[in-house]
Amino acid sequence: MIKKWKRFAALTLCGSALLAACGSGEASSEPGNTDNNDSNNDTTEESNEPTQITWMNMLHTASPPTDTVTNAIEEYTNTELEFQWIPDASKEERLNTALASGNLADIVTLTILDNSSVRNALKAGQFWDVEPFLDEFDNLSQITEDTRRSASIEGVLYGIPFQKPLARNGVVLRKDWLDNLGMEEPQTLEELYEVARAFSEDDPNGTGQNDTTGFMDRADLKYGSFKTLATYHGVPNEWKEESGEFTPQFDTPEYVEALEYMRELYTNGLINQDFAVTAKTDQQEGFAQGRAGIYVGGLMDARNLYTLSEGITDDMELSQLNKINKDGSDDYAIWSDNNGVGGLLAFPKSEVSDENELRDVLQFVNDIMDEEVYIMMTSGIEGVHHEMDGNTSNRINEDLWQQEVQPFASSRPKEIGYDLVTGDELKLYSDNLILENEEIAVLNPAYSLESTTFTSQGSELSVIIEDATYQYILGDIDLDGFEAAVERWYQSGGQQIVEEYEAAWAEIN
Amino acid sequence: MEQQALESNIELTKKKSYDWMQHKYLYAMIFPGLLYFIIFKYLPMGGLIIAFQDYQPFLGIFGSPWVGLKHFSRLFTDDVFFMLLRNTLYLFGLNIFLFFPMPIILSLMLNEVANKRFKSSIQTIIYIPHFMSWVIIVSISFVLLSLDGGLINELIAYLGGEKISFLTSPTWLPRIYIIQVIWKELGWSTIIYLAAITSVDTQLYEAADMDGAGRLRKMWHVTLPAIRGTIITLMILKIGNVLNLGFEHLHLLINSMNRSVAEIFDTYIYTAGLQNGQLSFSTAVGMFKGLVGFVLVWGTNKLAKKMGEDGVY
Repeated sequence: MIKKWKRFAALTLCGSALLAACGSGEASSEPGNTDNNDSNNDTTEESNEPTQITWMNMLHTASPPTDTVTNAIEEYTNTELEFQWIPDASKEERLNTALASGNLADIVTLTILDNSSVRNALKAGQFWDVEPFLDEFDNLSQITEDTRRSASIEGVLYGIPFQKPLARNGVVLRKDWLDNLGMEEPQTLEELYEVARAFSEDDPNGTGQNDTTGFMDRADLKYGSFKTLATYHGVPNEWKEESGEFTPQFDTPEYVEALEYMRELYTNGLINQDFAVTAKTDQQEGFAQGRAGIYVGGLMDARNLYTLSEGITDDMELSQLNKINKDGSDDYAIWSDNNGVGGLLAFPKSEVSDENELRDVLQFVNDIMDEEVYIMMTSGIEGVHHEMDGNTSNRINEDLWQQEVQPFASSRPKEIGYDLVTGDELKLYSDNLILENEEIAVLNPAYSLESTTFTSQGSELSVIIEDATYQYILGDIDLDGFEAAVERWYQSGGQQIVEEYEAAWAEIN
Repeated sequence: MEQQALESNIELTKKKSYDWMQHKYLYAMIFPGLLYFIIFKYLPMGGLIIAFQDYQPFLGIFGSPWVGLKHFSRLFTDDVFFMLLRNTLYLFGLNIFLFFPMPIILSLMLNEVANKRFKSSIQTIIYIPHFMSWVIIVSISFVLLSLDGGLINELIAYLGGEKISFLTSPTWLPRIYIIQVIWKELGWSTIIYLAAITSVDTQLYEAADMDGAGRLRKMWHVTLPAIRGTIITLMILKIGNVLNLGFEHLHLLINSMNRSVAEIFDTYIYTAGLQNGQLSFSTAVGMFKGLVGFVLVWGTNKLAKKMGEDGVY
């Protein structure tokens, strides 16, 4: 009996040793492609062994994609890909621990460039400066000087910038409810307020019950309603720059107006009363269930909201608006998210050890910017997820697309300047509005400026303002209380940030 | 005389080393445990060194610049520190004064239940919440307490009252916190007390019966004094966890409106360190927290010994 047991133990031990050996073998044979890929003529060296690439990437969907699209991309780019998906909700802690422990991949998607440890890691030289290599590649050389500068930190470009539309936010609302009430699409903030009031009080869904509200918002001042409504009020995007003088957005009279507007909405019950603790999924579900009629956020969410509503609220019709302002004039504005830079695809020196390896990885990033791969990552594989009709792609299997393609949408290094058009009406409409937004987008003048205090304490300081903003909207503090918070922000380091930005600005101009 | 004492002393050491040799296998069995503590508990303490540096992962412990007590002076001069201390102590107070006596009372009551089957089914039922994760418990309370169609608020509105914003109100946070703690841990915490109660000598009860003591008298004069040692030991252990109020729990409850009463050391360390990447500063905060916990355990233990109890070490 004992003997048997011993044998078993020995076997297990051997087995695990074997497995361990396999594991380390795999790791060491990793990128090892030493062929000189200097030229980006992909005709001559097509016969190469596929390059092995690991990619630490953000996941914005509930589960990672299956292999279908990955295989197609691998085939096109002659690579073997291995993804390490980081759920977007825990990106801060995951990235920070990855950076601290040095557990990185060949490509790391960094979307939070203003996070202090990410910024420190970049500035400390943990990642390659890619700018000298860009012009060797077709697509990478097309990245405009503006984008390169916006994505740089202290003048150095530590990765391939994600090129996103400048501004994607706007208002989505229930067209059928407007029609029921005989109302027009709102064009001013006042009209928007009136719509919200009518949606709450005038029984837009005709059930005879008081079961609807105007806005459905979530606990997110930036990507939720507040920041978008604030730009409609004329609030600058994070910072106001006037001949070299910087003022934070919350120290402007417009910000207070926006606060007041939100507070009115809240106290009159025109917004879901627990918006300050509502998660994005609950918000979207609430809208899809027909509990509210106005959604402020990414315009492309219109499509998701509609999909969600199918089977629950069948008669839903959606309007999308991007031009609302105070007075109905032709002067519009919408804030730009990170000035159109969605982050960086960065290459850690610990994984990508020399310039040849870097060129291999850059070649891959360059290749996935080709229109063919863009289509794979946007619409999926022809005949499986969609059918092409000229430049128009029509989705044929919504569920499969959501599972296998959607997760890649946020990994596209470039989302603008392609010919592909969607066949979906709602999506096409939001795409067009987002294009229109380019012209009215308000940039953050401090985005590419450097402030050491902002790097080290910025996120902590912003909590002061964030909390005060919520508290004001919910009526927990008054204007004096809010101003005290702003004062506290200045005292605890904000003043230094202002000075550092002004100094950095003066240096460039 | 002295000679004799010396000899017996030598004898003693000899005997001791002999003891050691004789039980060497028993001692060897301690070894894996010791190793565990050295590798996983003591060696990582070396990492505390980064509290005195401006630690940057890329530069490593040896490359990062030394800044002395910079992070500590920032901590102690910051308003946040007093907020954290106040919140931590307040919630800890609730834990000690409201929660701690409850399982004792409950186990005394359970002990009085005569029907064995009834008693054990009650026990099983009250153990169940312990196995639920905080996410579930907080989600359930969310659904119950929400302003937008939460059951309790709907009930209040139906009865003509005004809805209460439980989830965003600083006054309600500590109450919700302690109610959730009690709901989850009350049953489970009775286990040790019940075990202690079963070991009380039955002769004592018989003697008390003879003296004409009723149920309450027996509880007060026999059962409680008999489990006094257990209560004190558990109290010391509880105090050792003074600053571990449950990161997960509060992290789920915290939001912009109740932060002023809900932010404790643990949640602050998480936000400052793991989310905002201020590794050195959050290590300094964590180190302070550890020191306070240590002093409290040491102090309570001393106190327990002074009062003639055993203490935990």
